Amino acid sequence: MNCGCGSSAAVQNDGIRRVAFYGKGGIGKSTTASNVSAALADLGVRVMQVGCDPKADSTILLAGGRKSKTILEFIDEDCRDLDTMTTEGYGGVICAECGGPRPGTGCAGRGIIVAFEILDELGAIQKYRPDVIVYDVLGDVVCGGFAMPIRNGYAKDVFIVTSGESMSIFAAKNIALAVGDMKQMGYASLSGIIQNSKGVESEDLLVDKVAEDIGTDVIARIPHSRVVRECESEGVTVVQGRPDSVQAACYRNLALDILARTEGTAGHMRQGRQEEMQWEKEE
Amino acid sequence: MSAVIHPRPNPIVAALYTLRDMDVEVSVIHGPPGCGFMAARMLELAGMRVVTSGMSEKDLVFGGMKPLVETLKTVKERFNPKTVAVVGTCSSMIIGDDVPAAIRAADIGCNVFHVDCHACMGDNTRGAVKALEAGRDAGIISSEEAHRQKQLLQAATKMERAVGLTSREYLPPAQGPTKLAVCMRIARCLREGKKVAVVMLAKKELAYRFADVLLAVDEARRELGGSTFMVANLDPERGLPRIRGYAKEISEDLVDRGFRIDKVVGGLDEYAVIGEEMRVAVEGFGPDLLILAGIPHAYPGMSREDILITDQPRQLSNYLSSGYSHAVGEISSHSMVMNVHKIVSTETGDTLREIAKG
Repeated sequence: MNCGCGSSAAVQNDGIRRVAFYGKGGIGKSTTASNVSAALADLGVRVMQVGCDPKADSTILLAGGRKSKTILEFIDEDCRDLDTMTTEGYGGVICAECGGPRPGTGCAGRGIIVAFEILDELGAIQKYRPDVIVYDVLGDVVCGGFAMPIRNGYAKDVFIVTSGESMSIFAAKNIALAVGDMKQMGYASLSGIIQNSKGVESEDLLVDKVAEDIGTDVIARIPHSRVVRECESEGVTVVQGRPDSVQAACYRNLALDILARTEGTAGHMRQGRQEEMQWEKEE
Repeated sequence: MSAVIHPRPNPIVAALYTLRDMDVEVSVIHGPPGCGFMAARMLELAGMRVVTSGMSEKDLVFGGMKPLVETLKTVKERFNPKTVAVVGTCSSMIIGDDVPAAIRAADIGCNVFHVDCHACMGDNTRGAVKALEAGRDAGIISSEEAHRQKQLLQAATKMERAVGLTSREYLPPAQGPTKLAVCMRIARCLREGKKVAVVMLAKKELAYRFADVLLAVDEARRELGGSTFMVANLDPERGLPRIRGYAKEISEDLVDRGFRIDKVVGGLDEYAVIGEEMRVAVEGFGPDLLILAGIPHAYPGMSREDILITDQPRQLSNYLSSGYSHAVGEISSHSMVMNVHKIVSTETGDTLREIAKG
């Protein structure tokens, strides 16, 4: 077996949680994903976060505000080394960025496919042995390439991040459509909506309605908070920068929820890992 | 009929052949190094330089502008051509490479133009039309000629759908029977003093091969008797200069060999629209046996008694499985005629010659 997260992973039950975040561009996927990753790391979970966006900005907050090298920068290299393609971020989170073409050129979707192939070839999963892999995917599932994270056994559980804004809700429905097709083919399934509140009127109701329409639950409501922006300008996650804030507690609870919701698809954590981790939800 | 599932001629390759017909000096295939490989080899034999930008996986992701610009510069240094065409492929067109921008960036100081085509466009003739339009816009051919060519291509596409390569869901390539039976039939007919008509309805350079059938039947008549009537689409005043040149060369070669065509109908690119005129001429002669060489199904009223000679293995299987049992194949003719200036002998012709001398 040459890959840990590729097609052969579709049938294995290795205890790795494979999670993807989708949602409209700018809705806060990377912020949410990074805070979840950081919260999981605080719990002693080994996390690998893979940014699937040519902008390569998914893991900035985990990597202390720095942009990391991208996997696709090494596309033509004969000797590729995983450690130079990834960055160890906050709490030991392995940060990987697919990267991709300059805006308006090439094919970003193909880029995602190739980046995943490179990670497989180099045995990233075997090397880093993550407990949870978080795929943070740009915007909408616009083409086959951007569906790659939820195909072939990469991510098994898809979480859609949305606010109550109508454009964000449109995108959520579109993504749910793609995920529904993926489920038919035995790939990933939709495991919930994460509400990233923007302060829209009746936002909870609006998001509840989408969840109902697409047949899933709202698993968390992240409040709108200036703390997020403050931490972003400091180049850190809220979990790292304001660990005592309500916002940080929200992310920690979401992290626990995601672990609980992915139990069914991934099975138990690898032997020995379960006991090392102790956690409780916060009020 | 459900979808046609046998592979068939490709718009990219059709564009390349059309560029050759327009005497474009260099064609740059903007795509993966293997795209157009077989066709490129043939076209090089015909005198057009064919090169590739050789796109890699990296170019697919990051865009293929850079290798294209570099390839154009190399083309300038190596060949110093007057005309260059950049032909699109599936990969470069799917990712939306801006070929005109790359042409401007390379700025190699000659007539460089883009043929915006790829292999998923549908019929291969779509690629040919794209090449003609691009050639017209680049001042290589006149608007009138481009228009005329487009109409001929439309007719050819319609014909192939009705009775040709795209008329059946699946056509396996066939080798067909040997030429002995059909040649014995021709020889018997002539020996009995009967009338044999030969119609050559050939597509472009393939006429260099199918014209041999005219010669062989004529030679057999001299040995065996009977009478013949020969019709061919060898009008040297029709079509692009290169195609006219073929007709002229072949006609001269026929004259040199002491042969005379009874009736010339149409040019070498008009096979799809001149069948009816040929049929009228042949009916006037009233033959006992009709031989159709080149694209037999371009002749209206092609009958199961006729002898059909094609170069296409899948077309041959189409004929044979439709009950045209006197069909034979001059397979691989194309590779034999790419850079010739004289008529190339056929297996059918040589078999007939042997029998006649018998």
